[in-house]
Amino acid sequence: MAEPLQRLPGHERLKGLTEGVRIFGVRHLSPNGAHHLTAFLNEAQPTAVLVEGPSDASALIVQMASKGVVPPIALLAYTEDLPVRTLLYPLAEYSPEYQAFLWATRHGASCEFMDLPSGSALALHELKSVEDAGESEEERVSFLNDQNGLYERIAEIADEPDYEAYWERYFEHNGNPNAYRTAIVELSNQMRELTERDEIVYRPQEAAYNEIREAYMRKRIKDTIAAGHAPSRIVVVTGAFHVSALIGERQAMTDEEFAVLPTSSTRLTLMPYTYYKLSSRSGYGAGNRTPAYFQLFWECLQNGRLQELPKIYMSKLAASMRDKGTYRSTASVIEGVRMAEALAAMKKGKQPTWKDLHDAAVVCLGGGEVSVIADALARIDIGTSIGRLPEGVSQTPIQDDLNRELRRLKMEKYKSPVAQSLELDLRENRRVQSEEAAYLDLHRSVLLHRLELLDVGFARKLPVRQDAATWAEHWAMQWTPETEIRAVESTLKGETIEIAAAYVIHERLQSCEDIVKAAKLIRDACLCRLLDAMSEAQRMLQSLAVDTGNFEQIASAAFELSVLIRFSSIRRHETKSLLPLLRQLFLRGALSLNEAANCNHDAASSVVSAIQMMHAVAQEHYNEVNESLWIRELRQLASRDDRNPKLSGFSFAILLDRDEYSAEQIESEVSRRLSPGIPADLGAGWFEGLSMRNRYALLSRATLWEQLDGYIGSLEDEQFRRSLVYLRRAFAVFEPREKANVSDMLGELWGAGAEDASMMLQRPLTEEEKEKLDELNDFDFGDL
Amino acid sequence: MDEKQNVLRLPSERLYANELEALKASDKDSKPNGWQLSPRAVLTFITGGKAGGTVITPKYIGNRRLVEMAIATLLTDRALLLIGEPGTAKSWLSENLTAAINGDSSKVIQGTAGTSEEHVRYAWNYAMLLAQGPSEQALIKSPIYRAMETGGISRFEEISRCASEVQDALISILSEKTIAIPELGSEIAAAKGFSIIATANTRDRGVNEMSAALKRRFNIIILPSPSDVETEVDIVKRRVAEIAASYELKASLPEEEAVRQVVTIFRELRSGATLDNKEKIKPPSGVISTAEAISLLTGSMALAGSFGSGKLTEEDLAAGLQGAIVKDEEKDRIVWKEYLDNVMKKRGSEWRSLYNACRDMNG
Repeated sequence: MAEPLQRLPGHERLKGLTEGVRIFGVRHLSPNGAHHLTAFLNEAQPTAVLVEGPSDASALIVQMASKGVVPPIALLAYTEDLPVRTLLYPLAEYSPEYQAFLWATRHGASCEFMDLPSGSALALHELKSVEDAGESEEERVSFLNDQNGLYERIAEIADEPDYEAYWERYFEHNGNPNAYRTAIVELSNQMRELTERDEIVYRPQEAAYNEIREAYMRKRIKDTIAAGHAPSRIVVVTGAFHVSALIGERQAMTDEEFAVLPTSSTRLTLMPYTYYKLSSRSGYGAGNRTPAYFQLFWECLQNGRLQELPKIYMSKLAASMRDKGTYRSTASVIEGVRMAEALAAMKKGKQPTWKDLHDAAVVCLGGGEVSVIADALARIDIGTSIGRLPEGVSQTPIQDDLNRELRRLKMEKYKSPVAQSLELDLRENRRVQSEEAAYLDLHRSVLLHRLELLDVGFARKLPVRQDAATWAEHWAMQWTPETEIRAVESTLKGETIEIAAAYVIHERLQSCEDIVKAAKLIRDACLCRLLDAMSEAQRMLQSLAVDTGNFEQIASAAFELSVLIRFSSIRRHETKSLLPLLRQLFLRGALSLNEAANCNHDAASSVVSAIQMMHAVAQEHYNEVNESLWIRELRQLASRDDRNPKLSGFSFAILLDRDEYSAEQIESEVSRRLSPGIPADLGAGWFEGLSMRNRYALLSRATLWEQLDGYIGSLEDEQFRRSLVYLRRAFAVFEPREKANVSDMLGELWGAGAEDASMMLQRPLTEEEKEKLDELNDFDFGDL
Repeated sequence: MDEKQNVLRLPSERLYANELEALKASDKDSKPNGWQLSPRAVLTFITGGKAGGTVITPKYIGNRRLVEMAIATLLTDRALLLIGEPGTAKSWLSENLTAAINGDSSKVIQGTAGTSEEHVRYAWNYAMLLAQGPSEQALIKSPIYRAMETGGISRFEEISRCASEVQDALISILSEKTIAIPELGSEIAAAKGFSIIATANTRDRGVNEMSAALKRRFNIIILPSPSDVETEVDIVKRRVAEIAASYELKASLPEEEAVRQVVTIFRELRSGATLDNKEKIKPPSGVISTAEAISLLTGSMALAGSFGSGKLTEEDLAAGLQGAIVKDEEKDRIVWKEYLDNVMKKRGSEWRSLYNACRDMNG
């Protein structure tokens, strides 16, 4: 045995005081532990029950034990300042701690937590992780491996496939209360002795932290005795690991020592939890890989029907498979149970463990393959249950607000760990009476947008088809404990979801530097129906728009606003206030058009889309914005020769759409642009811009093609090759039907008989021609 | 030479007779009907351990839990079907199970495309049948028939190679545990302890799919390829030593390093990636099983013993590898060449001589 270790110095000896205090060591999620603990409490009839957990959360115990609470739930402690750090204590119905709460509440015993207050625990955790970083990583890893190796060795000696199976066979199936209680303490003591010395060497912070916790727990026991409870009527429920440290001669922490512990200010809340999350937290110390199975175990244990567990489990598996369309007969279920029992019998076990049941199910229901039954296993082992907290049970204001909103909008059924989809129709529902009901989906949309803004992760917006984009929304909904945790974290931003969302917009506006982002924020605020935030964002956009922003940014900001205004009726917004801003942006955009058009070819494409957006705004709001100025600017650009020819061509095409030119004007402009002697990149580049818009307008004008034909014919060889680059690019986006039209037209022009010419033009390229075109791709533009 | 040494390969119950005796002597647990050992003793026989003072050699290396599941299946008098790729020790496991449980692994049907329903149920001695008419004496009993009489376990090797209608003859035998003999107007009912262990290969060519009805009557256990290099090296070494002893090969056993190289090559080609999972490899068309690694090494030993110095050289190994990997297709030759140049060449000095030998052989 290891010699006693140096402990924290203290003044009082606990021995004598704790004598008679009854300590029940538990594993945190153990149905049989919960069962035996309840029996133990019944026998001991304590007046005070101390449970491992943050002592500042003691007030929440009554709430956790109150009616209407459905585990799994979790106790969450979080720091008040950013970054938020959290401590989480999940509880299932079969947690011994939870059963202790229930017992104490039923019997009127005092029930308190006895571990370090959450503030100290979080502060010490912080210190620990800072100091841990300095340790030699290699040694620590090997120490941890050793520790896990211990568990594997125990399983090996017990001839069990893994530690979980060992645990279930020897502890969960142990029907003798005293044997359970002493065995678990003995096991933990031995483990502790084996690892303690190494832990001090390799993970001193961890060891020290543990020491502080235990000294504090001893203090709590002492305090409880001092408060007048007879030692023999105090029951301590703690992780089995700590039991040996709580009995014997170790000193308790003094008040002075407690006063100097580092601490951070924290708040506490309760939240619903899921089995899924519980299963993914598994590890050796705590956690269950199969919470739903253990819940079933607990229920069977409570009803005294533990022997029937294998039958129930296997039938449930088969039923779940049948539900999903894979038929399994009752005979297979019987064989599965028999095999599981045979496996248990080979280990001289009382009844099959989960591992036995699992392996038998693979063979008898899965035909040897896990994949066949994996889906059913996930349902029966882990399950989709989610805990529930009734109204009035301690929660952060924002959790309450979220629940209230979900109830108001009839969305409670989406609070499930199984992903569901929700389609919203934002239009007014005219078949219902109240206004609330008529705009139900609209209100839902507002809430979901707010949650999205808060990054709560409850709903994810999916894209919808264009034809319905104005009034339909499609969301994927999935609730996870992280959702709840993030909601709790949002508490720091505001007391309700609305206030918190407005705060987020406000924060983003503070750091917003370009007008596109500002316009997007206006839109976000609008989707979230945050009117104050919206006007704040407007002011921000206005001040930004005065002196920043190039043509492209202005155009896309104006377009954002335009969309908002257009769909305002669907969302029932007052958007009149946006109009002056739109007018201002539009004016600046229109005036900077010609300047922006002085650019090279690479920049031209983004200018093209900006022109498109501006034009869309002009068409949509022709009464509101200075449309005539826009047309004037476009005309100017179309006629100028010193701007990017593609952009000039593009604006000419827009004006062509609007019938701004007479036939003669078109003819003269085209012949001016495509007259012999004009360099190919100007002429063909202009044509490329022209063809980007309404191609039917071009196809219907035969003279245009005549002029183009004449122009190309007039080019020198060198120039011709240059023009090919532009023309190929222009025609690449034509549809096959349009290309056929063009070749027909050229056929007519050349008088070669439309069909022959068109055949000639549309035949695939020969290898030789392809090669020549490839050479063109490497064409050296030299001066461009 | 006594009989024991003159036989090419002894059945398991004779080969390990002393181990079985020791287990029987030390076995205190209760034995199921028709079993000569308790389930735990059977497990010890297969996976190794100690019985009294005798060391029990492990017969099946790998997943101990699978053996437990196989024994549990037989305990519930269900039939057992072992499925796996070639060389996952299906037959080896089934032979040793029957040897341990019944002390008799000889009631075996070796399934082929030519196996008929008579081999499964019973046939007639036609001379006697013509002379005397149907009688008990004229009956030729199948191994399954005999196992039913004695309450033992019968083996059915390579069941998936039999025609589907022959396989289906098992369906009523397994569900009713009787064989009707209409010619005699009687039927034979299985004594307690009767069961069948079948083995099947799923990935090879030339196998017949098993019907769902038949599969339902079996507890199916899939035997995996050895899970890691160490296990596979261990298996190969052990089996090579056993075979070399019984065939009296006149070559020294291959060095651990050579075994490791062969196993590494096989595992990498089988999984389509290098062991460290950093490089992808094109796998060859055929199945590259552990069994082939064993026969490759013993074959190379025979080469070295008969025509060489008695010591396994790189050339012997290369010849074996060439034969095992490049079966009949030109494609495999390219796969092997790519592996040599992309993976093996970069492996450093220990692999250099093997690489050179393989490259020369592959041309």
